[in-house]
Amino acid sequence: MVEAVRTQGLFKRFGQQVAVGGVDLVVPKGSFAGLVGPNGAGKTTTLSMITGLLRPDGGTIEINGHNVWTDPVNVKAHIGVLPEGLRLFERLSGRELLLYSGRLRGIPLDETERRADELLRVMDLVESQDKLVIDYSTGMRKKIGLAAALLHNPGVLFLDEPFEGVDPVSANTLTDVLRRYTESGSTVIFSSHGMDLVERLCDWVAVMSRGHIVAQGPLSEVRGEQTLNEAFLDLVGARGNGDEGLSWLGSAGTPR
Amino acid sequence: MARLGGDAAMTMLFVRLKLRLIRGNLRGDLIKQAGFVLSVLAAVVCALGGFALFGLVRLADPDTALNVGIVVFTAFTVGWIVVPLMIFGVDETLDPSRLALFPLTTRQLALGMFAASATGPWPLASLVVLAGGVAGLAGGAGGVLIGLAAVVLQFALCLVTSRVITTALSGALRSRRGRDVLAVAAVGVVLLSQLPNLLLNQGLPTDLGALLSSTGEVLRWTPPGLAAHAIADGGLVGVADLVVLAGVVALLAWLWIVVLRRALVTPDVSNQGGGTVRRSWIDRFLPKGQLGGVVAKELKYARREPRGRVAWFTAVVVSGIIMFTLNNEAAPVGLFSAAGPACLAALLIGVQSCNAFGIDGRSLWMNAVAFSSGRDLRTDLAGRHLAMAVIAVPVLGVISVAAALLAGNAAWAVPAALTAWGLLGVALGVGAVTSVVVPYTLPERLNAFSGAAPGQGALAFGSSSLGLLVTGTLALPVVLPVLLGVAWVALLAVPYGLLVAWGGRSMAGMVGFARLPSILAAVSRPV
Repeated sequence: MVEAVRTQGLFKRFGQQVAVGGVDLVVPKGSFAGLVGPNGAGKTTTLSMITGLLRPDGGTIEINGHNVWTDPVNVKAHIGVLPEGLRLFERLSGRELLLYSGRLRGIPLDETERRADELLRVMDLVESQDKLVIDYSTGMRKKIGLAAALLHNPGVLFLDEPFEGVDPVSANTLTDVLRRYTESGSTVIFSSHGMDLVERLCDWVAVMSRGHIVAQGPLSEVRGEQTLNEAFLDLVGARGNGDEGLSWLGSAGTPR
Repeated sequence: MARLGGDAAMTMLFVRLKLRLIRGNLRGDLIKQAGFVLSVLAAVVCALGGFALFGLVRLADPDTALNVGIVVFTAFTVGWIVVPLMIFGVDETLDPSRLALFPLTTRQLALGMFAASATGPWPLASLVVLAGGVAGLAGGAGGVLIGLAAVVLQFALCLVTSRVITTALSGALRSRRGRDVLAVAAVGVVLLSQLPNLLLNQGLPTDLGALLSSTGEVLRWTPPGLAAHAIADGGLVGVADLVVLAGVVALLAWLWIVVLRRALVTPDVSNQGGGTVRRSWIDRFLPKGQLGGVVAKELKYARREPRGRVAWFTAVVVSGIIMFTLNNEAAPVGLFSAAGPACLAALLIGVQSCNAFGIDGRSLWMNAVAFSSGRDLRTDLAGRHLAMAVIAVPVLGVISVAAALLAGNAAWAVPAALTAWGLLGVALGVGAVTSVVVPYTLPERLNAFSGAAPGQGALAFGSSSLGLLVTGTLALPVVLPVLLGVAWVALLAVPYGLLVAWGGRSMAGMVGFARLPSILAAVSRPV
């Protein structure tokens, strides 16, 4: 198995709170990997450290065998990133954003324009390509963000919550593009809350809980005989008790 | 009666909501708490000082006193219209759309929001200062009695007028375009406040007394004027003034309720797309690759980002003001009066670069994931410098020519411009270093009162004063001789500036690349 990403003992604390407490994440090359976990499990922190946006307090990260923090030259050109929160250069139009991103990575302008036009067409953004990003909807922002992350044809793509707040039509476009991308042998790693989506798309799953990886491996191994959602709830130890209290809620009471 | 009781309870609820918002905003943040304590102390000082000063008007002759009263009352009304517009969004009780889902009658909403906006240190302080009008203007018991009513009505007028305007504009203020326009308008207001200063500096034949009495005469018939006059009159005419004033307040209150009712059911349009932008042809003429990409982006940002526009606008106008004041102070001082304003403008423009990454804010990650060495960061800074030079070099040239013509010798434009350009280079070099060493978050929402995210004010102040100090020191060898009249030194200024800018970029590239994650964190603090 050739590994696209391997971390060892990845560790990060914010003040007293340990956000990521020794993560050993392994993602094989060419896989469509899902990183799942409840809110606050450390998914975003882990992805930020892997992509070089947040300095870890301990541990090593290798992408395609190169250390992210000591050998950035051999890493940064080969990864694409879509962080959470989606702050893009708001005062550029969608098209200008892609051109900027391409030129920042040293792609010749003509080639950048060609790729940008294709990406805009595939992402269904042609009509709004000359609008400022600040006026884009969430779905459009995720799409333009993904387009910018793909523009330099990276070998490994990191996406933090790419489907959150995205309408079904845009989500469909995103998954189509990502499927095509992994079929060619490239790697996608994305974090998500949507178990159905992860189950449908991914062939590799890592489950995080409270700063640790509690299970990782091929989808079929992680979920076993259950659905991924059931396996996930067992793994993070959170079977809800929605039966207690709330006696006033429902049609038996009066609205007030 | 039950309904009245219900209204009172609901009004109290609004007041408590406002108090709770103030408290919640301060929780767990020592700097904010200290800031609030200072603000309360300032409000108390302003209230007492304002009351006392206003009371002293009594010592002037009755006509002058009345005119002062009229002007002060009008100024308060205008202030109440302008200030909430500038800091809209700070106070959640002011935005009716947040309350749209609660089962409230418009009447409850109006009363509640009225009471909520009267709550807080500054509204109470302005009430106290307005009450100073009674001490300053009233004569006899009738005057005091009418005066108290007039002050309450005047206070109500301030609140209601401010409510009508903010509510009517709340839709526009929530939209991106509206806020963009307002951000730039804020600078206009700050500049307008400089107008009297300029007029006085111009030595216009202004007799303060005549100016006051003519202003008072004009404003006498406005609602605030009526209030002030009622206090001074204290008789039947005063009562008539009050009746009219009360009518105006009632009319505005009714108008407010109408606007409020409409605002509650008007959809939020802030997310419905704006227009498109033209594709830029300039890109074709820019350098290829990374450098050109950065220049193109920076030029677009200078044009489209309100904070960018404000910074440029301020730099140019402030130097304009200095230019005129320098040339109106008695004797001509030679080359200094041409090179001085040009250098000042260069400094003001250069200060923008002290926190070069601040305007990118959280989107800086896009650069951070692409940069794989210090060289990339250096190129980024070079692009920013080039973009700034593209705008600043002609601007400084024009300022130099204008200053030289005003100073009476067109030839002075050459040394003035050369020195200013050199100084700009020095400022850019120093700014590159401060940008990577002491970066801080610029707030998204620009208002006239704050230049940094909460808690980073000291950092922002430190960064720009450090930048100015170092720039000044480094630039001294070439700038000082020129300012003292040794014109030929100006020839050295541009090469020197280029050298310092290059050195600054190199140092910033070396230091900054390893610090990229920290820079990213520092410029993306939540605001």
